[in-house]
Amino acid sequence: MGEVTALIADIQHCSLHDGPGIRTTVFVKGCPLNCVWCHNPECISPRPEVMYHADKCIGCGHCAEGCFSGARVTCGREMTLDEVMEELRRDKPYYGGSGGLTLSGGEPAIYPEFSAALLDRCAAEGIGRALETSLYAAPEVLMPLLRRCDIVMCDLKHSDPELHKKYTGAGNALILENLRLLDSLGIPIILRTPVIAGLNDDDENITAAAVIAASLKNLKYYELLPYHPLGVSKAAALGREQTIFEAPSPERFRELAEIVKSRSVPLRIAGRGTDI
Amino acid sequence: MNYKERLAELRKTKIRHTLEKRGQQGYMNADDYGTVPLPEGYKFTPVPNSPNGGFYGYTGMAENYCRMLDGHPIYVDPLEMLCGRWRDMMVNYRRATRWDEARFPFDELKPAHELYNITHGIDNDSHFACDYRIGFELGFGGLLDKVRRYAEINTDKKEFYNAEEAVLLAIMRFIGRHIDEIERLLESEERPEIRASLEAMLECNRNVIAKPPKTFLEACQWTAWFNCVSRIYTRDGAGFQLDGLLYPYYKADIESGRLDRDTARFIMSNLLLIDPHYYQLSGVDENDKDLTNELSYLILDAAHDLNIAANLTVRVHENCDPEFLRKAVTCLFRDRNGWPRFCGDDSLANGYMKNGFDKATARQRIAVGCNWMAIPGREFPMNDTVKINVAKVFEVAMSEMKGMGARSTELLFQLFRVHLEKAIAATAQGIHLHIKHQADVTPELVMNLMMNNCIEKGEDISRCAEIYTIGIDGAGLAVAADSFAALEQRVEREGILDWDTVYSALESDYAGTEGERTRAILSSAERYCGGNTAGDRWAVRITEYFTEAISTHPLTWDGSMRLIPGWFSWSRTIEYGKVVGATPNGRHSGAPISHGANPNPGFRPDGAATDMSTGIAAVQPGRGNTAPLQLEFDPKISEEEGGIDRVLDLITTHFRLGGTLININVLDGEKLKAAHANPDLYPDLVVRVTGFTAYFATLSPEFRQLVVDRFVKGF
Repeated sequence: MGEVTALIADIQHCSLHDGPGIRTTVFVKGCPLNCVWCHNPECISPRPEVMYHADKCIGCGHCAEGCFSGARVTCGREMTLDEVMEELRRDKPYYGGSGGLTLSGGEPAIYPEFSAALLDRCAAEGIGRALETSLYAAPEVLMPLLRRCDIVMCDLKHSDPELHKKYTGAGNALILENLRLLDSLGIPIILRTPVIAGLNDDDENITAAAVIAASLKNLKYYELLPYHPLGVSKAAALGREQTIFEAPSPERFRELAEIVKSRSVPLRIAGRGTDI
Repeated sequence: MNYKERLAELRKTKIRHTLEKRGQQGYMNADDYGTVPLPEGYKFTPVPNSPNGGFYGYTGMAENYCRMLDGHPIYVDPLEMLCGRWRDMMVNYRRATRWDEARFPFDELKPAHELYNITHGIDNDSHFACDYRIGFELGFGGLLDKVRRYAEINTDKKEFYNAEEAVLLAIMRFIGRHIDEIERLLESEERPEIRASLEAMLECNRNVIAKPPKTFLEACQWTAWFNCVSRIYTRDGAGFQLDGLLYPYYKADIESGRLDRDTARFIMSNLLLIDPHYYQLSGVDENDKDLTNELSYLILDAAHDLNIAANLTVRVHENCDPEFLRKAVTCLFRDRNGWPRFCGDDSLANGYMKNGFDKATARQRIAVGCNWMAIPGREFPMNDTVKINVAKVFEVAMSEMKGMGARSTELLFQLFRVHLEKAIAATAQGIHLHIKHQADVTPELVMNLMMNNCIEKGEDISRCAEIYTIGIDGAGLAVAADSFAALEQRVEREGILDWDTVYSALESDYAGTEGERTRAILSSAERYCGGNTAGDRWAVRITEYFTEAISTHPLTWDGSMRLIPGWFSWSRTIEYGKVVGATPNGRHSGAPISHGANPNPGFRPDGAATDMSTGIAAVQPGRGNTAPLQLEFDPKISEEEGGIDRVLDLITTHFRLGGTLININVLDGEKLKAAHANPDLYPDLVVRVTGFTAYFATLSPEFRQLVVDRFVKGF
């Protein structure tokens, strides 16, 4: 049996926005969803891909010998556990009491063996463990990963099953079921909704999300994440087109915040308080 | 007017002064120094005592200083509680004839100084720290008595004592003119609260003109006077342990009911407004006991009230009050003025002890300069005045290797070592010359007053300091390290480039498409602070050799003197870069060199501050001087849950790993770019440039670009 590996899109050191404390975020490549607003489109395909950034091309004509200008970059590197652990250990002195690994993607559950082993190695070395997951995976695959974490960050992208399918490529039944199972584990949950104007920023959707959030026993907080078009240029570099959406206005966020707060759900907007 | 309203007005005046000064002086690229604009028609003409038109030595300096101080504009703002401000500096008047080369030539050193782009420090001044306790104990009158008393003992030092006496009398006359002005203002001042504080200012100054300070207000006013008159002499900016030395005055006044906390806070804001001297806060004593006190907190609050540039350094030790450290970080994010910065006690004190000093002495060595530490009253370190551009040393070695047969990074490193050693030798000789003759050229007549031995022995501090631990900083570490790493990786390990191609690209400054491709190959190699990269390993190797070579360099004239290595470029990255051709890290000819111990911008795609911190912690020379970590943070971090804790984790970990100094900018990227495009719209935007903070609007466009680049490409 060969060594356990995963296709890694990127490892971000000193990540300050992917969970508590200072973290190292490991982005696996491959995701079962295909959200129309995805801000990490390079993490959707489970295969290595070449990204082409035309603005960095120096026109040297030596593409076949390797590109060094940053114009052609291969996204996706098969990495072993040891290689990933070595990266984590570099950040380890900075984790303090709250930081650690954030296993993200893509969807870590598409590499169940690797993800479980990585979380175990971190536990053995006293490194905190957070998982960012779509929750779109078979419970028997996902639950063992969730159990290994200190905190789980997951999305509720749309409460309407049909619209969820329209915007992400899959319905939300499995996700809601996994959310319920996750809540039974007693692990703190950060539930999030990426909010896109005209797609999911209606009162009905956010009310439904707030009701679900309010039902969770282990919710740390519910977070509204304003849409940002980070994925557009990355999709273009992959030769794909991604629609540019808009984030709701600050006024609309204030209204949505009121909806959530009326359900007594602890709320953050983009990692911060609710003052916009 | 209440204190808040008064401070708001004072802040407006400060902003107006900043813009007026830029109009008078052009771009400053330096600390604000607390100066106010010179009035129209002000003129000072020095009286030379040398055929070269310069003025030197005890008599020449004293005469001109007295003339300058007697003609120096006074400054009393009725909204303040303290008075005095400096505007002109005496040594500025002999820029062209700074060092008396006719008497003390160093022609034989100039070729090496030029070849290695050495900032030799010859006739640099004031980079040491006074012991303010001496002044607090004696006052100007007591200092005058002391000078006169020792003049009678050391009768062969007449010129020295005459000069010191003249200086003290001039200082007292200068204060006297302010007393006259306060009296004049009182004649017409009708606002009762302002009258009351002017009367307090008057009484305070009538006391401190000769007597030692007795109250918190008087100690602050005395400090302001000394800072002001010392600046006018040689721009001395070294402060002291602000929360330590002033605490007894504060405590006694509060306990006796003479002072309330709001007034103390306003007085402290006033002191910080008058001059951004470098002060240390917190830290531990020689028994590792926390030095944080109520005044430490009040000083941060006072600086917040003022909300302008300040040079406050918090000394971090695991025994220090953690709440104070948290407050300090909160201030950094709340006010976004680049203060405070942080220094690591363990590595500084333990490092200094490696020079043969005990713990008590090492703990006395506090943060009183831009990047530097000094023992107040005891040490003559010349810190931050002497620098070797190692990027230039690298270029010399690289150039020498060109014609050699078996070219390799090993050979290159051997050549680099040889040239670095030559550079150090030439630097040390320059230091020797300076120490030998500073007294004949620029004796430190003001600072001598509060240095041990000077008055007692009748000698300038350059000749009688208790301790000579003299700093030599290297600049351009990342350029050299990344260059070695790129050659090792791309030429030797991967064979993608050959030496001739590299040399040809360097000579053409990476011209043409092929040159640009070569540049892309080299600049995308493993860089310093990339995280256990070839660049990191080379940076450590260079540092180890640099440290060893400087620490063990024999000082032929006095075995008790030591050289201490550090990594720091000050704000000279542009100037140093201009004399260095294209380098194998992909840097273009003439482009700025790297900043302090920091990596080159773009060192990692994710700009991870943790890798930068680890990389810089690993290149600490570890002898008591600094290799600072310069960080840029987005202000939004502090608004996020746990944001301040993340920054605290970064700070404490960096120091635990061996770091010495952290300078942090908290900048809103959009605001920074907007201010770069139109600085006048942001006259109050303060950035920490290196060890000092500056008003962004006063920086040259070139320098502003550097700050923008560091923010955008760095963190």
